[in-house]
Amino acid sequence: MPPKRKAGAAGGTTAVTTTSAATKRSRPATPAVDVDTSDEYSDDEEIENTEEGRAISKVVNAFSLDLAPKGNDVISKRDSVSYIFSKQDFSYLKMKSDHESRPLWINPESGVIVLESFSPLAGQAQDFLTTIAEPLSRPTYLHEYKLTPHSLYAAVSVGLDPNDIISVMDRLSKIPVPPKIIDFIKKCTSSYGKVKLVLKENRYFVESTDPAMLQRLLQDPVIGPLRVQGEGGSGITKEKAPQMGALVIPGTRNAAGAANVNNQQGGPAEVAVDVVEDLFNSVTGLGEDEEGEDEEDEDAVHSFEIPADDVETVQKQCLDLGYPVLEEYDFRNDRKNPNLDMDLKPQAQIRSYQEKSLSKMFGNGRAKSGIIVLPCGAGKTLVGITAACTIKKSVVVLATSSMSVVQWRQEFIKWTNINPDAIAIFTSESKEKFRGDAGIIVSTYSMVTNSRNRSHDSQKMMDFLQSREWGLLILDEVHVVPAQIFRKVVHSVATHSKLGLTATLLREDDKITDLNFLIGPKLYEANWMELAEQGHIAKVQCAEVWCPMTPEFYSEYLREPDARKKVLHYIMNPRKFQATQFLIDYHEKRGDKIIVFSDNVYALRAYALKLNKAFIYGDTPQQERLRILENFQLNDQVNTIFLSKIGDTSLDLPEATCLIQISSHYGSRRQEAQRLGRILRAKRRNDEGFNAFFYSLVSKDTAEMYYSSKRQAFLVDQGYAFKVITHLQGIEQLPGLAYATVAERKELLAEVMLQNSEAGQQEGDDFDGAKLSYNAGRKGAKYRRTTGKLSELAGGDGMAYIEYNRSRNKELKGKGQSSAFFKKMHRENEKRRKEQNALKP
Amino acid sequence: MPRAVKGVLIECDPSIKAIILKIDKDSGHGYIVEDLDDETLVVKEPKLPELKLRLEKILERTQMLERDEESDPENPG
Repeated sequence: MPPKRKAGAAGGTTAVTTTSAATKRSRPATPAVDVDTSDEYSDDEEIENTEEGRAISKVVNAFSLDLAPKGNDVISKRDSVSYIFSKQDFSYLKMKSDHESRPLWINPESGVIVLESFSPLAGQAQDFLTTIAEPLSRPTYLHEYKLTPHSLYAAVSVGLDPNDIISVMDRLSKIPVPPKIIDFIKKCTSSYGKVKLVLKENRYFVESTDPAMLQRLLQDPVIGPLRVQGEGGSGITKEKAPQMGALVIPGTRNAAGAANVNNQQGGPAEVAVDVVEDLFNSVTGLGEDEEGEDEEDEDAVHSFEIPADDVETVQKQCLDLGYPVLEEYDFRNDRKNPNLDMDLKPQAQIRSYQEKSLSKMFGNGRAKSGIIVLPCGAGKTLVGITAACTIKKSVVVLATSSMSVVQWRQEFIKWTNINPDAIAIFTSESKEKFRGDAGIIVSTYSMVTNSRNRSHDSQKMMDFLQSREWGLLILDEVHVVPAQIFRKVVHSVATHSKLGLTATLLREDDKITDLNFLIGPKLYEANWMELAEQGHIAKVQCAEVWCPMTPEFYSEYLREPDARKKVLHYIMNPRKFQATQFLIDYHEKRGDKIIVFSDNVYALRAYALKLNKAFIYGDTPQQERLRILENFQLNDQVNTIFLSKIGDTSLDLPEATCLIQISSHYGSRRQEAQRLGRILRAKRRNDEGFNAFFYSLVSKDTAEMYYSSKRQAFLVDQGYAFKVITHLQGIEQLPGLAYATVAERKELLAEVMLQNSEAGQQEGDDFDGAKLSYNAGRKGAKYRRTTGKLSELAGGDGMAYIEYNRSRNKELKGKGQSSAFFKKMHRENEKRRKEQNALKP
Repeated sequence: MPRAVKGVLIECDPSIKAIILKIDKDSGHGYIVEDLDDETLVVKEPKLPELKLRLEKILERTQMLERDEESDPENPG
């Protein structure tokens, strides 16, 4: 697959992208050979096999812009250079006379919208575009967005009218909106989002603002008979459309205001400013005159009831008809499911962009399902928690690893006044249920989806999960799991609304396209640069350091036939090693805390041992990991740690301010972004002139260069600029520079060549974190029988013992544990806890 | 009697030099007159265009080769 942004740059290529996506899906799945995806779940079933899958791809294809019949395209020669642009020659489009003051340009073929971000209107235009289109690329001056069926679907789902979209677009555009785009918008919006599936008082209703639409559905041979005959004769009931009204998202500015009013007057919180309206104002910001007319047609909704068992049938049928249903949850009128007593603590203030994303979710006072995209470190967890506090029903949270499960639980306790007993954890180590009627369960994807080899306890837990109805399902890091797993989750847990959270909604394969249907549309995507400007995430200087290969290593690299060993050659490049050493030295002197990432475990060990730093990888026992992380956070002496892939996601280290990457997972854009996320939440980010640093070390003239450029694509699209450093100033003068002589380098090379090709591979999957806790102490015999003289043992032979390349991990062992005082305190604590446990019923 | 060979001094990155050395070795030492240090060497002048050609070919391949092998394992060849 070419990087995503290329598809936008050339109008013609989008057609190729869609078709290749389609063919890829129809091809039988190759079991786990796809290099780009080896750290994801592998699909064991083929989506195409399911009926739903087919229906989905049908709908997706039907609404692709490129498959729309091409009108009478005029591609005649216009001037002398037309042939260079061929189909991309848009000089025939007439510019408006005052085009200079308008910031948008719309590509009539592909639906790509280019925004001049230096225009005074850019702010408003940007708000508008993030609502109706998907951001493709947002560097400093020119932003690219693309109109897609999904983005329009999302726009409709927050209550925008197609006519408004077109009129605002026309106002902002340098050229009149091309008729093809208008058609496209109308076509998408007329079918998407018109039909809603609403759960009210545990009865399912199909709802629409357009009665004709419902009539059409009722005439359908499948849906028609499923209707539950209501009290009225027609079966279609009419009622007032829900408004945001008094619903207040806790933690927002409105919440504070509303609370005041409640206290003073005891009346309903009328001051609660309609957040939707705010949004709408910002969208149509250029003209207030039009607002009156939109409000009228939103007033009434029509609905008919369907039985709960047939919800899926109806959904499928609607999909076939080309009217995908939106799911909404009217949680305030849900009386059957018990409320969960939980509120944000007063000190929890959510930030403006978090508020914006949540207001899209709760746009009309009901909970919409969907995905919120925020950069790492921008408080995704808090968004999830606030959503849970708004709905106030039982919640299931699914995370990627048992480590982040624990973090989620702690965050819930930290930000809300929830009773800690009401949050249960369901992982391989602990399987508890919450007490009371409502509560929260935090678990991992693998626990919920793994149907084989389930222990008795977890089976009981699963039955518990499946037997209940849940108000909200929070899916953390949605990008890691392909659609197939989601389908399983969504089917096994009965939930009213779903919220997906992620930082990087992209995969190198095409397995996320269906998320739009399985979870919901993308509700909000934050602009990384804007957040960095506002100080919510750290500003980062990105640099790519080019390390030339030494002649010895390069000739071996060229000679080596085994691709996996080749990898080892460019990772172990001595110049790269020196660069790492230099950068660590430089940043340690500045007082930075440094994380060095290496996917390759052999290199990780070699680097860390040589530089005498602590390191953590898959085989590091849990105890040792925690100790190292603690030391990294608190100990001045430990300023650098080496992490393997396991540190990529969900590891919260706000101390880290500098990141060095020495080896990586081929061309994975997501990994790059996730790793960058490790330093975005730097504690010191609001210091004057503070910058975090991200270095990617690349061996010149090797395949790494190619991967590197590919990896950066996502971050570049987010507006990050990579500086290329070809030479580190002063590296030769560094005292104690490793591998400075040819002899040392030759020695290293010999060592590398002795490694088998396995060493060139990355460590295996470490998704659940569960397998890691048990492998200490099983590594064969620790003792060895040798013959020797007694004097040798006594040191009488004049031998001295020096350990080279000693692991720093060992030094960090057992500090603070030795004091008798602490031991005593620990014992007492233990005793007290036991007593308390005994007291509990 | 001293023998004279007309040569060209080439200055390049160590990695490029490694490639030139490889070409030289593979073709039975027909190019290099003298290997001076990490970044410089002298090659026979008449052979220069040929060397350039082969170098370019190899350079193209070093970065493309692995991509084909690794990122498209589904359809080998």
